[in-house]
Parts: sequence; C-alpha cells; structure tokens
Amino acid sequence: MMATTQCGVFHESYRSDMQLRPTTWQRLRVVVVFAFIIILPFVASAQNLRIANTVVIAAIGAIGLNILVGYTGQISLGQGAFLAVGAYSTGLLMHYYELPWPIALVLGALITAMFGAVFGIPSLRLKGLYLAVATLAAQQIVGWFVRNWDPIDGTKADGAARELSMPRALFFGDKLNDSEFAFYVVGMIALVIVAVVATNLFRTHIGRAFVAIRDQDIAAEVMGVNVFQYKLVAFATSSFFVGLAGGLTAVHSTNISFERFTIDVSIEYLAMIIIGGLGSISGSIYGAAFVKLLPEILRDVGLWIADQGWLASGQLDQYLPFAEDAAFGLAIILTLIFEPEGIVKLWSDLKAYFRLWPFSY
Amino acid sequence: MFKRFLIITVTLLIVFAGATPRTSHEATLAQDMEPITVGAIFDLTGPTSDVSQFYAQGMLGYVDWLNANGGIEGHPIEMISQDYAYSVETAENLYVEFVNAGSVVFQGWGTGDTEALRGRIAEDEIPFMSASYSATLGDPAEAPYNFLVGTSYSDQAIILMQAMLDEWLDQGYAAEEMKVAFFHNDSPFGTSPLDDAEAWAAEHGIATVRVPMPRGATGFDAEITTNVVEAEATHIIIQNVSSPAALLVRNLGDLGLLDFVQVGCLNWCADELLINGAGDYAEGIMGAIPFAPTSVEREGQADAIAWLDETDGPSLAESTLHYTQGWVTMAVMAEGMRLTLANGEELTGPNIKANLETLAEFDTGGVTAPITFTAEDHRGNRALHVYRVEDGVWVEASDLIDLREMEMDME
Repeated sequence: MMATTQCGVFHESYRSDMQLRPTTWQRLRVVVVFAFIIILPFVASAQNLRIANTVVIAAIGAIGLNILVGYTGQISLGQGAFLAVGAYSTGLLMHYYELPWPIALVLGALITAMFGAVFGIPSLRLKGLYLAVATLAAQQIVGWFVRNWDPIDGTKADGAARELSMPRALFFGDKLNDSEFAFYVVGMIALVIVAVVATNLFRTHIGRAFVAIRDQDIAAEVMGVNVFQYKLVAFATSSFFVGLAGGLTAVHSTNISFERFTIDVSIEYLAMIIIGGLGSISGSIYGAAFVKLLPEILRDVGLWIADQGWLASGQLDQYLPFAEDAAFGLAIILTLIFEPEGIVKLWSDLKAYFRLWPFSY
Repeated sequence: MFKRFLIITVTLLIVFAGATPRTSHEATLAQDMEPITVGAIFDLTGPTSDVSQFYAQGMLGYVDWLNANGGIEGHPIEMISQDYAYSVETAENLYVEFVNAGSVVFQGWGTGDTEALRGRIAEDEIPFMSASYSATLGDPAEAPYNFLVGTSYSDQAIILMQAMLDEWLDQGYAAEEMKVAFFHNDSPFGTSPLDDAEAWAAEHGIATVRVPMPRGATGFDAEITTNVVEAEATHIIIQNVSSPAALLVRNLGDLGLLDFVQVGCLNWCADELLINGAGDYAEGIMGAIPFAPTSVEREGQADAIAWLDETDGPSLAESTLHYTQGWVTMAVMAEGMRLTLANGEELTGPNIKANLETLAEFDTGGVTAPITFTAEDHRGNRALHVYRVEDGVWVEASDLIDLREMEMDME
C-alpha cells in the first residue's frame, strides 16, 4: 500500500523536495478536499452555506492570528481591532472612493498590515502578558475610533446611529451580501490562496525566523535574525490576513457596526487557534470550523432531544444557551488537558496510526 | 457554463440536504388553519440578558396567550426563536435561517442586530420590530421596514427635558440657568438621542454637555468632577443600561450632589434594576418610560397578569416592565398581521407593512401611549408619562406629554 503520509520517501531532486504533497495518496487527499469544497455549495441549504461562509471568514482570520501567536509567539488580544480596521477601511474605500470591492479588499488588508506593524512596535520591549495588554490598547483605541469618527457617520443621510452602510459588491451580477453562493466562491478562493501562501511562508527564511523568535528570541538574535524587524513583519503579515477577513466580513454584510469587533471576538479567535492547534495552518482552519460549528451542532442535538419529548420546548429555550456556553468552555479545557497541540495533532495521530495499519508494531 | 456543468454533476451526488428544525412555540390549540411563522432573536446569555430574558418571556407569553385565544383570525402563531448572545454575526445567521423557514415578520432585540439587519430586511421586505428605539429607525425613508413600538430615544430625551424644564420654571429659575449633562453609553445606542436633544435644548435656551461613560468603568468621579461640579450642571440625563447608571447615581450620592442636581433616565435605565442598584440614592430620580412600570396599574397589564397566573409563572412585578414590553411589541405586530388577513390580503411582508401603516390610535390598554403608524412615520407614538422614584418604586410624575400634539399646537 502506498503511503498516505511521508514515510520512507526519499527525494532525488530539489524539485521533489520542494513539493507540499510528495506522495500520490496525499495528492489524492487534496483532490478529495477540493471535491468537497466544490460540491458543498450545491448541496447545502442557504443557511448552512451561510454558516460555511462564516467558517471561511473565521479560518482566514485564524490563520492570520496563528502566524502571530502560534508561529511567532507574540500574544495578541487585538484581533477584533485588526478585523475592524480591515472591515472599515474596505467599506470606507468602497464608499468614498467607489473602488471596486476586490481592490478595496486588498487595500483594506494593506492598511490593516500597516496598522498592525505600528501596534507591533511595543513587542520590541514587551513579551507575554505585557504585550497582550499592549494589544488590548489597540482594541480599545479602534473601538473608540469606530464609535466616534465622523467619516463613518457620513455613509448615511442621518448620522444618528454610527454604523457603516456597505455599498453593493457585485460578483458576476450576484450581490455578495445577498447570494451566499457568490460569497462562498469569493471567500473560498481567498481562503485557498491564504492557506497556500501561509503554508509556504514557513518554508522561507522569513517564516523560519518567526519560528526561531518564538522558540528562543535571544538565540535567534545571536544567529543573526533581526528580532525587531521580523516581529514587525510578523505583525504586518498577520494583520494583512486578519484585515482580509475583516474586509470579507464587510462585503458579506449590509451594515457593519463596532459590535461585531469587540474583545469577545479577539478571545473567540484565540480559542480557535488553541483548539485547532497553535503553529499550524490546517489547525487554524479546523479550529475555526470547530468554534463556529459547535453551537450549531449543539443546537441540533438540543432540538433532537426536544423532539424525543424529554424536554418541553420551553425548557429547551431556557437551558440550551447555557449548555452551549458550558460545552464551549469544556471543549477548551479538554483540549488543553488532553491534546494541547489541538485538533491538528489528533488528525496527525490518526494518520500515524493508519500509516502501517493493519500491521503496526 | 462551469456552474451548470457542476450542477448536473452534483445533482447526481446529492444524497440529502435540508433545513434543520428549530425550537418553536407551537399552537397549544388544535387548529386546522395553517400556522403563521414568526422569527425572533433574544439575548439570553449575552451582556443584555438581564433585561432581554424578560422581554423574551413576554413575547413568548403573548404568543401562547394569543394561540390559546383563537390566534390571528384562527391562524396560530408559530414563533421560532433563539438566543443570539448579542452577537451580530449570530443574529444575521439566525435571520437568514428563520426567513428561509418561512418567517414573514421578524422580532429583533438590540441596536447591534437591528442596525446590521436594517438594509437586509428592506431588501427582503420583512417587517421588523425590536427594542432599539433610535429615531432613525422610525423614518421610512431610512428604514422602510422597521417599526418602533416604543417612544424613540430622541423623543424620550425631549419629553424628559420638557418635564424637567417645567419643574425648573416652577421653582422660579429661568431656562437659561439650566444646564443638562448627557451621560451616555459610548456607542451608537448612547449617542442616538443626543443630536435631537441638543437641538431642542438650544431652542429653549438650555445649555448642554455630552459626557461619554466608558465601558466597564468602575467609577465616574472624574467625569462628575469635570462635567457636573466644575461645569455647574443642574440636570443629568442618562442614556445607558441600568448597572452603569446605578453606579453613576451612587457616585453622585456619595459626593453629596443629588440634592443639587436632578437626575433622569431614559428607558433602558429607568427600571426596577436601577432602584435595586442605587438603593436610597435612587429616590427622586426621574424616568422617561414608554412602557408602564409594574408599580402602576394599567388595564393592558391584565391579560399578562392573568396569563402568568394561569401558567404558574412568576408575578408581573418579578417579570419587570420588560415582560409587558415584549408582550405589547408582539401584540402590535400581531395586529398588523390580523388587519392584513381581515382585509382578505395575502400575508406577505409588503402587505403587513401596508396594514401596519394604517394602524391608528391602537390601544395597548395604557401600557404605552396609543400606537399610530403612517407611511411617512414609523414612530408608533411620541408620547409618554414621566415617572419618578418615590419610596423605592416608580410613580407617575407627569400627565401624558405628547410631542405630536405639541407640534400640532405650534403649527
């Protein structure tokens, strides 16, 4: 049987050494994944596709955060702020400069990257919890800005409520904030590009410098890594992807308000990468899917229980929300106790088990 | 081409996919008529759950009560509802889901979800009510499918200032000596009434100052020193939720300022929770309350009281005024649907909207001022009684102050 994982594979050329998926079975698995991605929008109902779209956005954001936290070891509580900068800059560029949405998305992400680099400056002196608090400042400052900055009011006739009305974003005639199918196509293309770019990033000297800083910054500096410069690059790269996720959130909505980007969102994203796997691109995607799908699945389980008549529907309304919160907390605790490396480790353990199956020794 | 090719390939692969069933309050009576689906979101676990849970119970209570009493023209209401923990993203997901499940109207909750859904409901033509009373939502040019059952925040602030001004003049002062500090939640919710209120104050020669209340603050002494003591404010109007408002009142009390400054609350802090939180310091605080508090008796509360009693629920006082708020909001929506059916029209969003716009002087039994919608104005009323805390309960402190009547008199 051919190996589905890289076991006993010997490379004979640099080209084969550079491949992301060197074995045929691995490539087949990629084909299966792509088949799933392509089939999903045709079989899923509108609301399920909508949930899939929130997973796609979250996955891009989680990959961004993982570059910073998982790979470079710089804790950030400013995720919500970076998402907000991406969303508002995309929306404002579309509104005031009437830029087409793909250009606004990329520019919005670039603006977020610059913003992220600025808030990365304290990382030169601050580490761990101290840095976390510094990024918390970003969260507060951006929160104040989007609530009080006048141009955001200007997007509608009456400035009584401060939120940004999104101009229409059309994709082959379908509105992105209306057609889940159209958004899925756009979002999924973005996710695939982000995932491939991010995976390859850690095969370059830049990515390896990030990992060196995470593992031991003094040793990295001794080896010639410019720690400060690479920390800023890590903040900028991470923020770029997070800004892209924010921009996608914006084009997926009709109105955006600060309530979408609170500190809770920052914590939710941290939960995603902890559950999925710190320092792993695929782990970020698994984590995003887990965090976004868990409430939906719990709800369906709850409804199934109600259908069995074990609980009156009134009782379900009463208990289900709390069961969701509890299950979420439990998932994080269990991950930390039993599999601190996250879902991605479970998956690789599974692959390791089947590598020599059924004749493992 | 590519999409069509895929569709053909994929249809062969489809096994099953479909909508999942939702929690629902179904008809308690066996009725042959087709149920009317109504989607609703509540905050049962999020930051506003302290008040939203009662609002939710009131709304669900009304649906059960109505179904037990013949429904809408014989049709029972099937309310599909879900906690969204004040997350805008969840609210949007649930909205799409409930509308796909056949919801013809929608009951929202907070400013965040109401603003986020505003554009979408207009495109989907889904009449929408919520407990967010920004004046913009009552303007059909801005928000064609939003309807305000409660008095808008702007009108609440103006009515409260009118009552304060009347008392101030009675005490022998001049309007020019009055200075109002608007302590507000630093968010769209908090700033919503300020522009209109300041414009009104300027017309009457009253000075004003804005004071944002930072989120999660543990005290407001600094804000008070600068904006009340040094700036010599004579009145304070709070647009925030009960807990920070109670903290502000305590700070004012501890500094001994409550004897010199008249404090007033708009509806989200003028409730029983403020009195619990501020204790004795709450005495004398004024409140602009569009939905009658449980400490005053109104005929419109009778059905709710009887229903709570019949279903062994808590008393109305325990359920707070937010129970009747949810109850009445659903009653107004149900009336719009009843009119549509009574006129022999199909139950669609545009028809319900058109019929809601014919609602004139709809009587909520005194829980609110009568509700009137027109095609030009979706503010249900512009009138309320001002209340005041006396001996730990809200009592009526003014007659009904009606801005619509006052504006007509001016003309």
